[in-house]
Amino acid sequence: MNRAVFVAASFLIATPALAHHGWGGQEEQVTALTGTVVQGVNMSGPHATMKIKVDNDVWDLTLAPPARAARAGLKTGLIPVGATVTVRGNRNLDHSRHEMKTIYIRQGVNEYHVYPDRE
Amino acid sequence: MDLPHVLRWLEQSPLGVFTRGLGVWSYGIINLAHILGIVMLFGSILLLDLRLLGVWRSIPLAALSRPTTTLAMAGFLVAAVSGVPMLAVKAGDYAGNPFLFIKFPAIALALVNVWLVHRSPAWQAHAMRELAPPERHRLALGASLSLVFWLTAITAGRMIGYW
Repeated sequence: MNRAVFVAASFLIATPALAHHGWGGQEEQVTALTGTVVQGVNMSGPHATMKIKVDNDVWDLTLAPPARAARAGLKTGLIPVGATVTVRGNRNLDHSRHEMKTIYIRQGVNEYHVYPDRE
Repeated sequence: MDLPHVLRWLEQSPLGVFTRGLGVWSYGIINLAHILGIVMLFGSILLLDLRLLGVWRSIPLAALSRPTTTLAMAGFLVAAVSGVPMLAVKAGDYAGNPFLFIKFPAIALALVNVWLVHRSPAWQAHAMRELAPPERHRLALGASLSLVFWLTAITAGRMIGYW
């Protein structure tokens, strides 16, 4: 009985970390993209976001939760619309959705390591 | 106006702009309020519905009905007031989210059920006298529907973030 409660409790504690901010819908492999910013960093929740245009496709970049994105050095208005950026991340398994969970952003000499442990 | 338009309007509304400007912890805090509201709402509802379904018969229904309905109403208000800015932050992003189409109709059905239960003769009599079996069955039916609708709303609400 006690063991069952312990096992159940561990799952309850472990699941949020695995599930939300889940990368389950993303590819294993890391993809790099270079494009132009069409919408700068939006630091509101649940995840910071950004949009870039690569060739003729607009990509939705999903960043970390706002506080983590801020710790990586990102701020609203820091990367202007029109700037060229290179990003790395795991793109959505569904290739019809141009969406990427973004690990790293570089604009010129500025680098933002959003998920350094995933690089 | 269709739903994507409404959502984009909400995102660009003063509420959306205001919420986005509140700082990096604001979403987490609003989300916390939403969860606490749901805890108050569903915790109370679960107690009352189980009692209406025949659990804990030794507790008089009238003793349970007042605190649970009061807390549930307060919880609903907290959840609703915190829910709107959570949606407004990036409302446009949720335009294609199918769980929205499950959650909000489920809430509407749950509220209609609340209204129907509260205007039923059985509910109106429960504080005054012992209920007859058909009246208890009426309230048990309301309790079953309540659990189905609220659990559907909460499940769909939780799944919005995983779509």
